[in-house]
Amino acid sequence: MNGGSDNQNIDDIGCIEAINDLYAYLDGELTDPETVAKFEHHLEHCAACYSRIELETALGRLIRDSAEENAPVRLQRRLRKLIDDL
Amino acid sequence: MVQEEAKAWFSRNVEGCLDGLYGVAYRLTRNGADAEDLVAEAVAKAWASLATLQDRSRFKPWLFRILNNCYISDYRKKAVRPIQYGYDELGSDDEEDLTELLIRLPDDFLGWWGSPEHELANRLMAADIVTAIERLPEAYRVTVVLVNVEGLSYDEAAEVLGVPPGTVRSRMKRGRTLLQKALWEHAREAGLIGDEHREAGTT
Repeated sequence: MNGGSDNQNIDDIGCIEAINDLYAYLDGELTDPETVAKFEHHLEHCAACYSRIELETALGRLIRDSAEENAPVRLQRRLRKLIDDL
Repeated sequence: MVQEEAKAWFSRNVEGCLDGLYGVAYRLTRNGADAEDLVAEAVAKAWASLATLQDRSRFKPWLFRILNNCYISDYRKKAVRPIQYGYDELGSDDEEDLTELLIRLPDDFLGWWGSPEHELANRLMAADIVTAIERLPEAYRVTVVLVNVEGLSYDEAAEVLGVPPGTVRSRMKRGRTLLQKALWEHAREAGLIGDEHREAGTT
């Protein structure tokens, strides 16, 4: 795939730098294209950091699935009435 | 007429983020009835201050911020049960300490998980995760819920909490690290980890 950049020329970052950026990357907050390219390049070449991001992704999903709440129907009714009466 | 339109718009948007609103309220108050009251109070206050909402596309973080402020000004003061923090041993917010922890703890996890990353998911129950979240110190608990569960951006979470985005970023790191440590310790206590890894999480 030709993404317009030559991956061979991307400077490698160390594991510490990668781990520092890991959560921002997972949260979609790593927006600078050069930083993202360096981070992804590191992942492609570092089995430990690749495993870690898999772990963090799974854990993030687990947290989201476990902690999501649905508002009780009672609360929905209460708010409809509250807003009607405002 | 304008009033009715505004009310319909407001009602639609409240309904659109009601599950998230209740979820955050529940994690803050740790009690369903209090969470419902907190949401109702926040919605009433939001309607009263709708004129302060400059950018309507920011409705969700704006409403979450009102909820958080209601919690801080009213509910937290009334808390009968002392909040138990169990993770103080992790030390300061210093970035270097944090990096060291992040490097060390997940390696222990990797040793436990082995190759299939879903092994942990199969062994830990949703209740274990929720307990670990609820035991987080409040600043980390609410940040993790806003970003990881409700999907707010760091900017939006910062707006909700009234802190800089950099603080959200460091709280997310630290909050997740605290959660991992708690889950690791829970798994050891519950005998979910094999003997070969029992010493790995100790410092």
